[in-house]
Amino acid sequence: MTTKPIIEIDPYEKTWMRISLGLLVVFIIMVGVAGYALGFQLPASETRVNPQTVATDPNSPWSNPGLRELAPGKYEVYILAQIWLFNPREITVPVGSTVTFYVTSKDVQHGFKIQDTNINMQIIPGYVSTLTHVFDKPGEYPYICTEYCGSGHAAMFGKIIVEP
Amino acid sequence: MPKKQPEEPFEPKGTIVVMAIFVVTLIVLWGSVYYILISRGVTL
Repeated sequence: MTTKPIIEIDPYEKTWMRISLGLLVVFIIMVGVAGYALGFQLPASETRVNPQTVATDPNSPWSNPGLRELAPGKYEVYILAQIWLFNPREITVPVGSTVTFYVTSKDVQHGFKIQDTNINMQIIPGYVSTLTHVFDKPGEYPYICTEYCGSGHAAMFGKIIVEP
Repeated sequence: MPKKQPEEPFEPKGTIVVMAIFVVTLIVLWGSVYYILISRGVTL
């Protein structure tokens, strides 16, 4: 006959396990609230492009990168990343604008991060990274390459000017 | 036969304080990052 081993858990350990589990549940709920209730999105790669022709194909929006106004206060920006610059390097929009970024690379992997926003994307050749942000405070928002891409990496930056 | 010693009460006060500091630090750090995320605005 075998007897089950009795596992005695100290009350302090039980309390600690309850606190740990409780924190985990609260954190998961908060992430869920951000994702589903507030609507935070992760960078999406919706479209694939040919990195060898993306900058030269006349049908490609990245052959003429820049800002397009879709409606008052609503914009989209096509940004081409290449060693070692972003094209365009400067974008100007009025305050309150909703701007959708379509960023791709024609050579190596880059990063695209806009300071003081939650826009932070990997830019992979052949893929288009997309995110939308509402610029509701005037000022300058620098964007930088966050992926080391060679000797000129540190010079790879630009800025968004949000006019009042 | 040796006389049995009375059991010492198990009250790990120092450990409780250390764990409490750990929990508070975890909540503050996590909460501050969450606050920064929310305050920077929604990515759509």
